[in-house]
Amino acid sequence: MISRLQRRMLAPLALGAVAVLGLTGCGTATTAQSTELTDEDVTLTLSWWGADARGQKTSEAIKLFEKAHPNITVEAQNSDWGGYWDRLATTTAAGDMPDVMQFDEQFLASYANRGTLLDLAEFTDILDPSYMDKKILAGGAVNDTQYAIPISGAPSAVLINTALFEQYGVSLPDLTTWTWDDYSETAQALTEASDGAVHGISPVGVDSFTLNVFARQHGEQLFDEDGDIVIPVETVADYWQTELDQIESGAAPSAEQLSESAGVPLDQYDIVTGKTAMQFIPAGVFTAHQSAAPNAKFILADWPTDSDTEEGFQYMKPTMYWSAAATSAHPAEAAALIDFLTTDPEVGTLFGTDRGISVNPDIQEVIKPTLTGADKIAFDYITNAAETVGAAAPITPNGASDINAVISRYNQEVQFKSSTPTEAAEAMIAEIQNSIDAAK
Amino acid sequence: MSALGELRTITHKRGPESAASKRARTKDNKVAAFFLAPWLLGLLGITIGPMLISLYLAFTNYNLLQAPKFTGLANIQRMLGDERLAHSLQATFTYVIVSVPLQLGTALALAVLLDRGLRALPLYRSVFYLPSLLGSSVAVAVLWRLVFGGEGLVNAFLAVFGIEGAAWISSPDTALSTLILLHMWTFGAPMVIFLAGLRQIPREYYEASSTDGATKWRQFRSITLPLLSPIIFFNLVLGLIGSFQTFTQAFIVSNGSGGPADSTLFFSLYLYQEGFSSFRMGYASALAWLLLIIIGIFTSLNFWASKYWVFYDD
Repeated sequence: MISRLQRRMLAPLALGAVAVLGLTGCGTATTAQSTELTDEDVTLTLSWWGADARGQKTSEAIKLFEKAHPNITVEAQNSDWGGYWDRLATTTAAGDMPDVMQFDEQFLASYANRGTLLDLAEFTDILDPSYMDKKILAGGAVNDTQYAIPISGAPSAVLINTALFEQYGVSLPDLTTWTWDDYSETAQALTEASDGAVHGISPVGVDSFTLNVFARQHGEQLFDEDGDIVIPVETVADYWQTELDQIESGAAPSAEQLSESAGVPLDQYDIVTGKTAMQFIPAGVFTAHQSAAPNAKFILADWPTDSDTEEGFQYMKPTMYWSAAATSAHPAEAAALIDFLTTDPEVGTLFGTDRGISVNPDIQEVIKPTLTGADKIAFDYITNAAETVGAAAPITPNGASDINAVISRYNQEVQFKSSTPTEAAEAMIAEIQNSIDAAK
Repeated sequence: MSALGELRTITHKRGPESAASKRARTKDNKVAAFFLAPWLLGLLGITIGPMLISLYLAFTNYNLLQAPKFTGLANIQRMLGDERLAHSLQATFTYVIVSVPLQLGTALALAVLLDRGLRALPLYRSVFYLPSLLGSSVAVAVLWRLVFGGEGLVNAFLAVFGIEGAAWISSPDTALSTLILLHMWTFGAPMVIFLAGLRQIPREYYEASSTDGATKWRQFRSITLPLLSPIIFFNLVLGLIGSFQTFTQAFIVSNGSGGPADSTLFFSLYLYQEGFSSFRMGYASALAWLLLIIIGIFTSLNFWASKYWVFYDD
């Protein structure tokens, strides 16, 4: 009696074990890839990071896509920025990468060089990005292979909360010709006028984009085409010294105050909560700042310059990309989905400026009349700036995808004076180059 | 495994086996194996398997996306010159060495006070135990940020008396102390165990000693402490192992950076950053084994030292 019971109960267990073996087998199975669309039923996964509003818009876009391609079903995977990269790393390691993914410049080379992304140039019949400015499209290529399609691009800009300047009666200098001294002095004047209640600036910033723009103002760059870090120690030290001076003069908040607001979500940024009045941001996220701070009156201005500043120091940095998995069982359908999300006018209107200002001129035409308020300010700023920006910057190389965390760590050492700007700059450059070499 | 062994000894004791009893024994073993199967599968699949794999990964360069490359002792060499590892060890050791005794001391003191038979004892016990349930949770770490923030509760309270508070969590000098305080605040779990231990001490000892004129302090030193020492030892072992692995509090309070200036970079947080932010999973695996070895050494030291101070009253 017992043995029969045992056998009956052991059978499903054994089946389960076989199923587990089968599943692991799937992970390594190579699938025949086709560059043609099929009529068979296909299921794709689409993965992105972002807030709820983006999630809803994307879900609606998926419905439109499924209507246009009745044989394709799209499953959505949505998470916040931090969780997104942890999850992508682990699902990729498990051989279970989503078919289509929203991507970021920091991580593009890391994934592309490791052979995990699909060469999208093979699908030009389905996905043709020829509408795009070559300078921007190049931002999605790694070693001359088109691993990613830029969705939107924007230069870096100064976000200014004019409401605070009006409130404390401080006037802004001419923003088209202002110098670094004007910038720091205006900030200091605001801090003093408010008696320290607000500070003029959140300082130079701790991300690789602003560091790169700063380097380009001095005719340098952060990375070169070979993927090595080439920014000189003096430039980084200069960048941090500027920040120290601003902290010292009261133009910027103290090291402790800055440390407290490091790494918080956008709606708690000092610039959003009204504790500071100016900050460098990628112009593409202007709307996000304005909608998080309804009491602020934000405008955008170009960076301050000095007489020796190089022309064309700004560049259009792709805000986000779409990429597809090299392991996708349905690469043609994945390409079709990317094409739909970037060229369909209805999707264009639906997305608006949520993923930045589209780099597709046709979509720009469609959305232009619909834009109001912050969206319109950002749109006008970015389309104007597009005419004066310089060449694209080489993307963050493999091995340096944690560069923002590294910059921010050394920046903090400088702020708390445990290292001098030069010491920290030397150590930071060495550490990043080490990681790049190790990944080669 | 041990259950299987027990089954076997039981059947062995029956003396010379008949064919029938032998069959019954095999059947019993099969039943035992069957009931153990879910646990064994879990142990092999979720604990031992991954541990062995991570031991292998510790000697490789593995970026999660490509197959691991065997690099011999390169990861260990890397550890020797790793300045951030030194920072994280320093932060972790400071945390463990300061916060564990503080937490246990508080727990013991309160347990002794509560053991005097207060009327609302169950209420106090629950209230004091509550932080232990919440202490390592994300919610409390978020709360800690708010309480010790520049414009937080503590500074607002100090401002009432005209004292200008410090930037508790955002200054490298004080950030670690706030985490130690958070750990101390979770004294409830060891306190409940201490309370149970205090109940086991026969009342006669106290009665006899007070007849002999012993003071409360004398009683505490000569009766309570020795008889409670196995419980103290138990709490100490658990406390050390647990706090070496602290992650959530530092992760939330520093927004995942271990900052300011690496002052709250606990070992497991550094391990996590290396594995998941910098994609150096091979090195992260090596770090995990280093942590296992460190905890192993501390626990063995603990057991060795226990011979000299733990008193078993059998």
